Amino acid sequence: MSYMLLIVEPSGQRDARTLQQGKEVYQRMLDYGESLRVKGVLVDCNSLRSDDAVRLNVRSGKATFTDGPFAEAKELVGGFFLLNCRTRDEALEYARQCPAAEWATIEVRGVGPCYL
Amino acid sequence: MKSNAVLSSWSMGNTDISRSIEAIWRIESAKVIASLARMLRDVGLAEDFAHDALVIALEQWPRVCVPDKPGAWLLTTARHRAIDQLRRRATLTRTHDMLGHELDMEQEDSNQPFETVAREGIDDDLLRLLFVACHPILSREGRTALTLRLLGGLTTAEIARAFLVPEPTISQRIVRAKRTLREAGVAFEIPSADERQSRLASVLEVIYLIFNEGYSATAGNDWMRPALCEEALRIGRILAELAPDDAEAHGLVALMEIQASRFGSRVDARGDPILLFDQDRTRWNRLLIQRGLNALTRVDALKQTRGPYVLQAQIAACHARAAAAGDTDWPAIEGLYAELVHLTASPVIELNRAVAVGMARGPAAGLALADQLSAGGALDSYHLLPSVRADLLQKLGRIAEACSEFERAATLTQNERERALLQRRAAACMRGTV
Repeated sequence: MSYMLLIVEPSGQRDARTLQQGKEVYQRMLDYGESLRVKGVLVDCNSLRSDDAVRLNVRSGKATFTDGPFAEAKELVGGFFLLNCRTRDEALEYARQCPAAEWATIEVRGVGPCYL
Repeated sequence: MKSNAVLSSWSMGNTDISRSIEAIWRIESAKVIASLARMLRDVGLAEDFAHDALVIALEQWPRVCVPDKPGAWLLTTARHRAIDQLRRRATLTRTHDMLGHELDMEQEDSNQPFETVAREGIDDDLLRLLFVACHPILSREGRTALTLRLLGGLTTAEIARAFLVPEPTISQRIVRAKRTLREAGVAFEIPSADERQSRLASVLEVIYLIFNEGYSATAGNDWMRPALCEEALRIGRILAELAPDDAEAHGLVALMEIQASRFGSRVDARGDPILLFDQDRTRWNRLLIQRGLNALTRVDALKQTRGPYVLQAQIAACHARAAAAGDTDWPAIEGLYAELVHLTASPVIELNRAVAVGMARGPAAGLALADQLSAGGALDSYHLLPSVRADLLQKLGRIAEACSEFERAATLTQNERERALLQRRAAACMRGTV
């Protein structure tokens, strides 16, 4: 079974860190990703930039683009870990071990079709 | 009303915690058992004490809370149980061996717990556990059951369900395997350099057997069967991390990742198998394919002679790279099969080579190879030989012969769905429609 751990961060949190603090946080996440990889459960993971977001939609054939930062957004998706593990409980346990749980929120989602 | 709600939320919380404990057990048990096995020099005892720790956790954690480092907690608890028990037994018998264990254990105990032990130490223990569980003195069935139990943390009931055999059968296999290891005095060690290749081959074989057991079960609706594939992949990925310099470990991972990428597209809505060439390639899982190709890149970097798993993975990669069946690089596949035949001398691989030759150089060349195999007689009862011959004969326009070969293949197969498919193809030959 595949589960996505989404790292949901408060907007502005990254800017409040010094470069050194930012690097430390990032290193902890790299170590965490490595720990999942050696357990054989990590399919893919990555960190997402927060300075280049664009939102777009197409309505009546017309594409509209909105550049970030988005004033109304209180949080942003800062990264993801795609796991292959046996049960939702296991995914939750891996999420509990995620360092970002201390400063952000980990959203655990099963992979599946949107109509269910 | 109100107290009811409180009660239900409390018991809900309680159920959740026992499920969390179960998940933690599955994640951590292999490492706990591996560390204990090194101290106790006995895999069976290690599992017993690890299990004791789980029972204590199930009793304590719901009352207190889940500890911060649950794996370390389980190991420390199991270790204390083991020391207590061995000390008690040692005062009764005072055997040298047990005293030896006791001293080892106490020395270990004064060391730091497991999260601070260098990762290497735990990795080595896990690798030792995998080598022992897949030891060649054990039967194949014993090896697969023990590997799933010790490395996968699966219960006997789950393994039984996955292999479609009664639970006591699996219990017996596990008990027997542990006894065999104990009686043979198998060392809890990573094999020495001269032994390593053959021992590794046994590990790879077990992992691939587990994978195939799940993969070949196209008819089974039971979720445990595909779970076997995932389990094999997980253990394979762990092995590739633990033995990064063994190209065949990466080869096996690559092979399984690429085969798993076709999982969702190899049967139709009725559960009938869809042949590789007829599969909807847009439904292949690109992420798994990419992971497989990445594993092959690691193989290339090692610059070792290509072994059977690497070759099979490279064949799978040729298929995976072709956006449409018609784009397949058949000459490359033919070359890889030739190398594989050379290594394995397997008539089944030879038959696959005949198919590749038929695609690369035309059906007459493929048929010549298949005919040699028929004459050899090694595949007399193997349905795919007449099935391949039928296909080649049909392409050559020798319809009557093709028809009778499809029929012969249909009588040989054990699989109902496959039989139906072969009979349909025979009937189509008869009607002159292809």
